[in-house]
Amino acid sequence: MTQLLESTGFGQWILHVLILLPLLGVVPLLLGPESSAKRTALAVTILEFVLSVGLWWALDPALGGLQLVSDTPWIRSWGISYRVGIDGISLVMVLLTTAMMPLSVLASWHSIVKQERAFYALLLALLTGLLGVFIALDLFVFYIFFELMLIPMYFIIGIWGGANRLYAAIKFFIYTMAGSLLMLVAIVVMVWKVSEATGLMSFSYEFLLRNSAAVGSSAPWLFAAFALAFAIKVPIFPFHTWLPDAHVEAPTAGSVLLAAVMLKIGTYGFLRFAVPFFPQVALSPGVSRLIVVLAVIGIIYGALVAMVQPDIKKLVAYSSVSHLGFVMLGIWGGTVESVQGALMVMISHGFSTGALFLLIGMIYERRHTRMIDAYGGIARVVPIFSLIFTVVALSSIGLPGLNGFVGEFLVLLGAFPAYPWATVIATTGVIFAAAYLLWALQRMIFNPLDNPENQRLTDLTRRELAIMLPLLLGIIWLGLYPAPVLRRMEPSTQRYLQMVQPRVGAPSSIEVGSAAEVRP
Amino acid sequence: MIRLDLATPWGLTLALLPEILLCGWALVVLLVVSWRHRTAEDSRLAGWLSFAGVALSGAGLAALWVNGAVPDGLAHMVALDQFRYAASAIALISAGATILLSLGYLERERLLAPEYYPLVLLTTAGMMFLAGAEDLIVLFLGLEVMSVGVYVLAGYNRANAFSAEAALKYFLIGAFASGFLLYGIALVYGTTGTTNLSLAGAQLAGRPLPLMAALGLGLLLIGLGFKVAAVPFHMWAPDVYDGSPTPVTGYMATGVKAAAFAALVRVLFETFPSAISVWQPVVAALAVASMVVGNLIALAQRSIKRMLAYSSIGHAGYLLVAVWAGTPDGAGAVLLYLLAYGLTTLASFGLLAALGRGGERDVTFDDVAGLAETRPGIAFGLTVCMLSLLGFPLTFGFIGKWYIISAVVAQGQMILPVILVLTSVVSAAYYLPLIMAMYMRPAPSADHYASVRLAPAALGAIVLSVAAILLFGVWPGGVQDLATRSAETVTQTGLPMAERR
Repeated sequence: MTQLLESTGFGQWILHVLILLPLLGVVPLLLGPESSAKRTALAVTILEFVLSVGLWWALDPALGGLQLVSDTPWIRSWGISYRVGIDGISLVMVLLTTAMMPLSVLASWHSIVKQERAFYALLLALLTGLLGVFIALDLFVFYIFFELMLIPMYFIIGIWGGANRLYAAIKFFIYTMAGSLLMLVAIVVMVWKVSEATGLMSFSYEFLLRNSAAVGSSAPWLFAAFALAFAIKVPIFPFHTWLPDAHVEAPTAGSVLLAAVMLKIGTYGFLRFAVPFFPQVALSPGVSRLIVVLAVIGIIYGALVAMVQPDIKKLVAYSSVSHLGFVMLGIWGGTVESVQGALMVMISHGFSTGALFLLIGMIYERRHTRMIDAYGGIARVVPIFSLIFTVVALSSIGLPGLNGFVGEFLVLLGAFPAYPWATVIATTGVIFAAAYLLWALQRMIFNPLDNPENQRLTDLTRRELAIMLPLLLGIIWLGLYPAPVLRRMEPSTQRYLQMVQPRVGAPSSIEVGSAAEVRP
Repeated sequence: MIRLDLATPWGLTLALLPEILLCGWALVVLLVVSWRHRTAEDSRLAGWLSFAGVALSGAGLAALWVNGAVPDGLAHMVALDQFRYAASAIALISAGATILLSLGYLERERLLAPEYYPLVLLTTAGMMFLAGAEDLIVLFLGLEVMSVGVYVLAGYNRANAFSAEAALKYFLIGAFASGFLLYGIALVYGTTGTTNLSLAGAQLAGRPLPLMAALGLGLLLIGLGFKVAAVPFHMWAPDVYDGSPTPVTGYMATGVKAAAFAALVRVLFETFPSAISVWQPVVAALAVASMVVGNLIALAQRSIKRMLAYSSIGHAGYLLVAVWAGTPDGAGAVLLYLLAYGLTTLASFGLLAALGRGGERDVTFDDVAGLAETRPGIAFGLTVCMLSLLGFPLTFGFIGKWYIISAVVAQGQMILPVILVLTSVVSAAYYLPLIMAMYMRPAPSADHYASVRLAPAALGAIVLSVAAILLFGVWPGGVQDLATRSAETVTQTGLPMAERR
């Protein structure tokens, strides 16, 4: 496979094609008739996914550094170039993004009825923005993609969203922008400080990383600006209030992409930029303690609030706050296991929560309500839906054998030595997660079938099964055999840890079963 | 590079070629309209003739610019440097776009007095004198020529009480501003014995700023502060912007502002570089006040024109941040931002003019609801403009803000950029609702926007502006280099700015 790809020069063109293809796809989509827009979008996103899968082999798994790097000068006088490349961490994020995209298109097949062309064009533009964020290696370019994906999502929420969509859309936009503009100032300050020290003005990621010591005493401020931008995006408690509004009001495709991909941009930003640039600040005892405390509050608070939600979509939205708390805990856990675990939670949260939002969208299309009370006993009328819903909910809870377990277990295991108490408290979050999801499951799926309206529900169609099956496969595969994914990420994780804390670099196995024994 | 001896009539004529061409052409147009001033046809003729005049003056400007005309010795009266050429070019672009936007507007509003167009030309000549003044007297003359023309243009819609109010208000406030400015000039002359900007700067260099000169500096800042509508000298702006005919509003917000900022940069950089520690805190205070007040009050506006008026106060604040830097990069950022803001504002007011129906004064947020369904082109144009004003990436407005932030950060200042971006976030809360209204709210009726007409000339100007906003947003390299190079000269004609460090 690797040779086959090399023979086509795959590594040279793939990243550019991934960025450009959706934008080129917008043209036939807008020129074509309204009715064929979704087919065009589906074709483009599937092609995009197929191409991106090649990255799995194009990347040398033994190397932890950035690969497939290419550099095209853009604004010379400011040292800005269009610089892209990936490592193991971006690889899985790119694959997660491209995998979710066709599913989102399929999920919108019947639910988006007005202005279809515009909707699918925005989805494709969003795809470019999301991929750009994960592969950009120039801070100017990263910032542009980071902001650019706001616009499509803003319109997707604002035009095709629920009743309260205008409020949700503007809140989403302004929250994110507030953080990112402060990051913009931090980027400029950092580049200026580095250029004063080195005499070279460049926004290149690696260059800034090598010379990040030059920022000197302003490091705490710069870290604060970066961290705020990403903290809003994650979101870390107390910056999470945009999330329930945006997730609930967005149409299904929007919720799926928000949860599965966009939240991960925040945690990815911490791993790629905020922590490696300023490790001495980020991993200082004070900051670490603050972040870990906020992460644990997020885990518990998100779970508790989710428990009392009458609206199933809102419940899932708050559960994201809880799950992302695990990611933050993992990143600050500072061991190979905890960081790998954080990455696994990022991936499996994408699958599980994406799947939950898709299922909620499907049942909402039938009943036009998301209130848990309105359902009950539907397992008798829609058995397939109920089965899948149960499996997905169990995976989100973290049942061993399904994907959710691997990541959260690794995080807790890896973070325990550094933060025993926080880890113990975070563990209760898993129990709470079981409580809110199982309780919701019981009230929706089981219980007596007492509402006559529910008796006329129809089970999943073939299109809907086609959406859910890949996700189910992913959920089970990641739960039973996560080793290939972990293996791709491990060198990059090791490298990351060597970068931020030179002492933690000892080789360590990442097999789930043996992880406990190799802890030093 | 050609050297022009400004002491000889021939040298001076060549140095003033763009201005002379513009004034001469304005007189020709005046002659033409004196016997053809009745019908819409006549108005259109005057409009296109004036547009040709702008193009002619632009050709003259290009001739100077391309040949790199520099003064033989010290520049008397009028500067011969790239900063002047760049600022004049922005004034001419603004004038040309205003004429194109006015062609359809004046006909629709039945304002068929073709003297409008020569007034625009003469006002533009005033702007160019103001932007190129190397002498305080020329600066004052340019300011007056510009202002008197704009007073008349603001009140051009005689039948409309708000237009008359705008003109009167602008005139009264403008008279005050001129008074301040003139007194400031007198004090600077009293201290230095010269009205030449660079010579006065040489007199003031190397010693603490005398009290009289400091007073003069303060009065000059107040006078120019009125013209750029910086807080606390902004009270006139909303009413005047709101009451004036919409293309004139666009012209005021871009041309007047550009010329006044060019003059401000010249005065501060050439005459008072040695007093940078004196004026920097003042400029910073004005900038912060303008950014905060302008953006916060804009939040509360329902009328789009008033909203843009207050937001233009905020943009004056951003420009003052660039002035604060006091470096060539700061001056370059002023030029680049003036161009970005100018193109965006002209296009916005052009689209707004098309949306207002005959005799209607205000276009509110409700009046654009659902615009995107029936008029996607206009909605898209306004969206690009709003995003550019907001400073969103891949628009020209972003590049402008980026340059300002870079220029200020390079002086080790972090507070001003942070305030700049925070107030930009505030501005999102009023630019976005406009986009929302157009795309996310239903239209009152299916044919609500059937009567919206965009005249071909206006359409051309708007399409070009929007294309430029996007083009320079994606490939800013060339225009940014140009701004940087143009700005270098403003500090070279005066004393080297490096001395003050």
